[in-house]
Amino acid sequence: MMKRISVIIAFILGIVSGMSASAGWPPYDTGVEPECTADSVDQAQETTMTFKRPVSQIYMLGIGGTNLLDTYLSPLRYHGIAMDLSGQWSKMLPWMRNTWVMRFDGGIGLGSAMNPSRTARMLEADARFAWGVAWSHRFTCKLRVTVGMSADLGAGILYLSRNSNNPASVKARAGVSLTASASFPFKLGRVPVLVSDEVKLPSLGLFFSPEYGETYYEIWLGNHKGLAHCGWWGNNFGIDNLLAFDLDIGPSALRLGYRYRLDSSWVCGLNTQLHRHLFVIGWIPHGIGLKRTRPSEKSISINSLY
Amino acid sequence: MKIPRLIINVSLALLASISLSACHDTPEYADDPEGNFNALYDAVDNHYCFFSEKDIDWKATGDKYRSRLKKDMNRFELFRLCSEMLAELEDGHVNLSSQFDVSYYRRWWTDYPQDFSLRTLQQYYLGFDWHTVSGIMYKKLAGGRVGYMYYPSFSQRISETSLDYVLSSLADCDALILDIRDNGGGLLTNVDILVGRFIEEEICGGFIRHKTGSGHDDFSSPYEIRYSPASAGRVRWRKPVRILTNRSCYSAANDFVAVMKGLPGVRIIGARTGGGGGLPFSSELPNGWSVRFSACPIADRYGISTEMGIDPDDGCEVHAPADELALGRDAILDFAISLSMTNGAVQE
Repeated sequence: MMKRISVIIAFILGIVSGMSASAGWPPYDTGVEPECTADSVDQAQETTMTFKRPVSQIYMLGIGGTNLLDTYLSPLRYHGIAMDLSGQWSKMLPWMRNTWVMRFDGGIGLGSAMNPSRTARMLEADARFAWGVAWSHRFTCKLRVTVGMSADLGAGILYLSRNSNNPASVKARAGVSLTASASFPFKLGRVPVLVSDEVKLPSLGLFFSPEYGETYYEIWLGNHKGLAHCGWWGNNFGIDNLLAFDLDIGPSALRLGYRYRLDSSWVCGLNTQLHRHLFVIGWIPHGIGLKRTRPSEKSISINSLY
Repeated sequence: MKIPRLIINVSLALLASISLSACHDTPEYADDPEGNFNALYDAVDNHYCFFSEKDIDWKATGDKYRSRLKKDMNRFELFRLCSEMLAELEDGHVNLSSQFDVSYYRRWWTDYPQDFSLRTLQQYYLGFDWHTVSGIMYKKLAGGRVGYMYYPSFSQRISETSLDYVLSSLADCDALILDIRDNGGGLLTNVDILVGRFIEEEICGGFIRHKTGSGHDDFSSPYEIRYSPASAGRVRWRKPVRILTNRSCYSAANDFVAVMKGLPGVRIIGARTGGGGGLPFSSELPNGWSVRFSACPIADRYGISTEMGIDPDDGCEVHAPADELALGRDAILDFAISLSMTNGAVQE
């Protein structure tokens, strides 16, 4: 199943990236490219060289704690456990001397939390998708930074069964986010490691919220007035921060990290703050390229992760 | 192994930005008598929808009961105090639920005659022989000239197919008596299903509003609650309908009466309904107690609040005294049967 999804997404990435030259998938596309910036690539440019731009895949499982406040449902904070399954698919684009990365993200989250007196349980579920591009630059000190934007789509629900006509709070958002990351390779013993911190800040968009005391029954009756709100940092602040250590072991890489996800909104007098702190373990099927060897005479691989 | 300072700085900046989320803090309540009392007071203060209509000074009420608050009072004493405060709202939709008790305001029906006896109905009118489906008891009365349905709770989901069977079996009657006495409410979707059988075109059955803020008079504009006829192929009742009510008709039952009253061929017979025209919301206290209260006022199609109940039609107010019920006579049902046999001519 996972493989099928990755094939589909990689196929989409291949199409969007212009299907550079020859067939792009699977799993590596090839094409003759006249411009590249990496030293090895410059060297390769002197001769006719075939470049590979593999679609880098990362699959992550996050498990940790959650802290939920939604005053439409309750004035109390709920604490509990959260789980998150997510995937990233990215590849370098043949634009501006190979300095742009295109990336698709998808994920689902589940949570279960109890009120302070442990007499009621709130359930949480959400799904999110993002497509974005980022400009990347690698400094001479090996630090690599990226800055970009993404288009996001997300939806979720909080459910508190004990409530009468306000048992659920639906969340939905569409908008754009700013993204940034910094990564730095080093060695831990003999194991190449890439430490990175990547952050996404939802910045502008539209999000859904009922009014202060509006029931979903009234919405069901057809009163859709005032449900969509323009979101910005002042009323719809969120952050998705992932600090990760990628251990390049064998042909694959192992990711260990910490993820903090916050979704918050303040609209119509309703306060929502959904915090998740997750320990992340991930798998990078094709590695992160830290073990790359000298380019062969015929091809060179440009990895999007570093 | 040297991690550049930039990564650390970026991480610190991100952590600082997280604090933005704390810009809109909500009140935190301690899990002690005062904290729980304040949480209850605020939940009602911010969301309850009938302060102005009932002319309730909630601040004065809060002060009155807060003065009885003691730091060392136990949970039972606190529950009683809070229940008494909530009873000042005189609202059957207001409950405080704990692990050991649920508070109710009952005077909306206990202060009035019951006007109904299920045993009398079953024994003397149905002869302990009736059909039941979807929670509806039904039978032909008056020698088969009057159809009778008793629907005791809107919590019982009505199946459209079952309703087809019920109405089809009563189709040769001259009129239908729909008895909802003692119906304490339930699901509004059942109101939709039932109303759809008695209308020929879409109607506005009422209006709903909601709170737009914590102020006592912060309300949205009224929004129409529209009802559509049952879909083609379903059985619709086009003959006279008599709806029997008493003071224990509440909430969704009250809404049903509000929608049906004034429709062609429909007569509301019996006593004023109990009210309950506010759609309830829920909140909770730090100690885990749950509180329910009216939050969205519902008005009839003329914009009149239904919270205090709905009167029967003119000339149709009838009571069924307890002593007569004990002897097997239900004056409200007798009146409805008589009205049905005389083609609806009401003697003023």
